[in-house]
Amino acid sequence: MPVTSATAGAVRRAITDPLVPVVLVAMAAVAAAARDSMVLGWATVGALAGYSLSGSV
Amino acid sequence: MLFSPGWRAASGQGSILAFFTAGLLLGGALSGLAVWLLSGLSEPIPQGGRAAAVAAVAATGVLREFGVLRLSLPQNARQIPLEVLQRRPRLGPMQFGFELGTGVRTYVTSSAPYMAALALLLSHPALAAATAAGLGFGLGRALTAATVLWSRDPEWNARAAARMPLLTRLAVTALAAALLTAAVG
Repeated sequence: MPVTSATAGAVRRAITDPLVPVVLVAMAAVAAAARDSMVLGWATVGALAGYSLSGSV
Repeated sequence: MLFSPGWRAASGQGSILAFFTAGLLLGGALSGLAVWLLSGLSEPIPQGGRAAAVAAVAATGVLREFGVLRLSLPQNARQIPLEVLQRRPRLGPMQFGFELGTGVRTYVTSSAPYMAALALLLSHPALAAATAAGLGFGLGRALTAATVLWSRDPEWNARAAARMPLLTRLAVTALAAALLTAAVG
């Protein structure tokens, strides 16, 4: 089923776009800060810092 | 390169990712603990002063990342030797991850880690929060490797490189927003 395979490939490519994780973690960080969730807030701040160093792996 | 060129078909890449992630989490937790210990020095500063300083750090980071402010920051300007990764099949990726996870063993190309570390230093939160920040840092770095693996796309690194300015600006802006929201709240 080449069409299905191509569609699956396109979906995979879209959901693993390099910007997707940063957008999701950014939303979580702001939401955690707004809810005064200390541990989750700092965890997401750390995750943003770590992901911002995305280089060649 | 963490994953071998034959990653598309090869088995064992998941275990490399697992050991690499474990190393990143250990390194991040260690750095979080170290920053937390140092953050005790900021405790005598009044709460209002610390919140203002965190806000200044957030603003400075955003201005630097958008090129408004030229500010060179200290970094360990070296690559972690590839031999660390290649020497041993399991402990190699773990050690490589640990060194990356500490955040002090190689280049730091974004303002975001400095903002997070300085905010942590100035805030002196509970130990659990500082550890969470360190673990989050490791997890954030692991997310890159995991996304590369899941994408099955040999061009992922090139795609990330092309989007890097936008990616870092998004991260820094969100980080600043989170810090400012927490400082105001």
